Amino acid sequence: MTRERVRHDLVELLKDAREDWDHSVTVTDNTGIFNELGFESIDAVGLSSALEGHFEQALPFPEFMSKAKEQNLKDITVGQLLDFLMQNLESSAERKVA
Amino acid sequence: MKPQVIIFGLDGATFTVLDDLVARGIMPNLGKFQCEGVRGHLMSTTPPLTPLAWSSLVTGRTPGQHGVLGFMQYANANSTSVQLVSSRQFTAETLWSIVNRQGKRAGSLNFVAHQPAPKIDGWVVPGWVSWRWMKRLSHPAGIIEQLKQELPGFDVKKLAIDFEEERKSVVGAPMDDYRSWIGLHIERERQWFEVLRHMMRKDPAELIGIVFDGVDKLQHLLWYYLDPRLTPEQPESEYLRIRDMAWDYFRTVDELLGETLDLYGDKSTILICSDHGFTATREVVYINSFLEKMGYLNWKPETEMVDDGSQELESGVYRHVGFDPSRTKAYALTASSNGIFINVKGRRDETGIPPQEYDAFRRELIEALLTKCVDPETGEPLISRVSTREEAFWGPNMHNAPDLTLELRDFGFVSVRRTNAIHAKRPTILGTHHPEGILIGRGPGIRSDASIDPVWLADIAPTVLYAMGLQIPADLQGRVIEELFTEEHLARHDLSMGGATEAAVAVAVPAGVPDEDTEIIEKMKALGYLE
Repeated sequence: MTRERVRHDLVELLKDAREDWDHSVTVTDNTGIFNELGFESIDAVGLSSALEGHFEQALPFPEFMSKAKEQNLKDITVGQLLDFLMQNLESSAERKVA
Repeated sequence: MKPQVIIFGLDGATFTVLDDLVARGIMPNLGKFQCEGVRGHLMSTTPPLTPLAWSSLVTGRTPGQHGVLGFMQYANANSTSVQLVSSRQFTAETLWSIVNRQGKRAGSLNFVAHQPAPKIDGWVVPGWVSWRWMKRLSHPAGIIEQLKQELPGFDVKKLAIDFEEERKSVVGAPMDDYRSWIGLHIERERQWFEVLRHMMRKDPAELIGIVFDGVDKLQHLLWYYLDPRLTPEQPESEYLRIRDMAWDYFRTVDELLGETLDLYGDKSTILICSDHGFTATREVVYINSFLEKMGYLNWKPETEMVDDGSQELESGVYRHVGFDPSRTKAYALTASSNGIFINVKGRRDETGIPPQEYDAFRRELIEALLTKCVDPETGEPLISRVSTREEAFWGPNMHNAPDLTLELRDFGFVSVRRTNAIHAKRPTILGTHHPEGILIGRGPGIRSDASIDPVWLADIAPTVLYAMGLQIPADLQGRVIEELFTEEHLARHDLSMGGATEAAVAVAVPAGVPDEDTEIIEKMKALGYLE
């Protein structure tokens, strides 16, 4: 799956979750999902489940969020989420356990 | 088409409350329903906790077999990462899937551990999901948009769990807020029911499951007002006012049952089930502080000490970060599971006791919990039962479960906070889970005005399959509750056993817990399970 395709799916997924989505907003890789797109921290778990549901595979989302915390990131950007997805959509099949 | 079977779930319902409400005429439909059917206690899981228990009901299996071990659980048996409950944790096939394989459709509404929704032949709107993600986490795609367009009054924000509103339930809402808080639950139950009614018109299914979870939430907060055994001889007007408001909620549930009977009562088998029962809790046991006093646990210096008597059962430091694993042999991870993990070297990391000392240490720990964790005033044990994981969680997921599961003498949840004391009395009586839930069945072939001995949650799935005339997978742990049915019905309808279930695949995600999970966990405390 190409980065552009994943990017498209991710943005659509974020839009879906926001009834009041401002369609004039241009989403770039530098757009922050909490500060700029208005998600709340409580949405992180829902986002995790939604990503896994959409891509139909497990993702180490808690690990991703923990690393963000260790790095004292004040927000997570669309680009960082994309990097995470591109890295793990290829490898997550190996994480499955019976 | 009318459903063949409806599982009418009342989360936490107990005969202690329902019998009183029926006697007072507050739940006339329920009174009539049980006169026309069969009732008995439905025994819960160990521990009697919502995710484990409903998952046992929909799989016909114990938690060690189905894989849902709590609101939070380790990602796997070798991980220090904690995950929130989700459908990914199922390692057993659900009832919805089993009936699908036999050509029947299913609809599932408001069940915990159903997000992301399994892609069944039918529809799933999961519980415990915030409204923003309901659209993405429901099945089939587009169902929430369809409901918005077609169902007058549908509001996904009212349907979904609202963590902020729920938080009020435990922080002690001002009196004037009680009505709106109870009203919110009344509105939620109506929304769920309208979804059921609409989906049955638009996209009917032979098996329906719906959970009304306000029963549990009201009972956690308002047990003092709902348990007739606790009613003061001369109740004050404030007491009566709050009780009347709580009764309004149960009137609504009864109305929904009445509407269900009007719609489907002539043809459908309806099973009113709870995941666990309820009782009063009057004290708090600070279990990690007990383990510290016994020399089994050492806190990190920075871990916050809370006042003795704190009613808060968990904080953001409930897990390993709160104590020093290198100097800890045993710890309670979360309040809701009432579980104690033994820190064994090589299991999750390189800290803990050597594996060869496990059996002896576990025996020592059980003895200490049962005899030394005592009421400081009376000397009586605070813990009435300790189950090993072989007893509580036997199965492929056992190694990811707590080593020991505690039942407190008042059935309360333990606190995992750091305190000086190990015990405190609660300033007010609250509600807590009890193993004895309810089952009331009514429908074709079911006896009238009868009662049965206790059965258990895992019996519901095979009983549903029998009532639908379907094959019962041979590897279910529960049994068909034959005593629900008339002899004539049993004579005409043989039990048909089938092959094994298809295993679900649990997917473990490695690594740590994000702050965001922790925040949700904090908010989930408001729901009473975690406090």
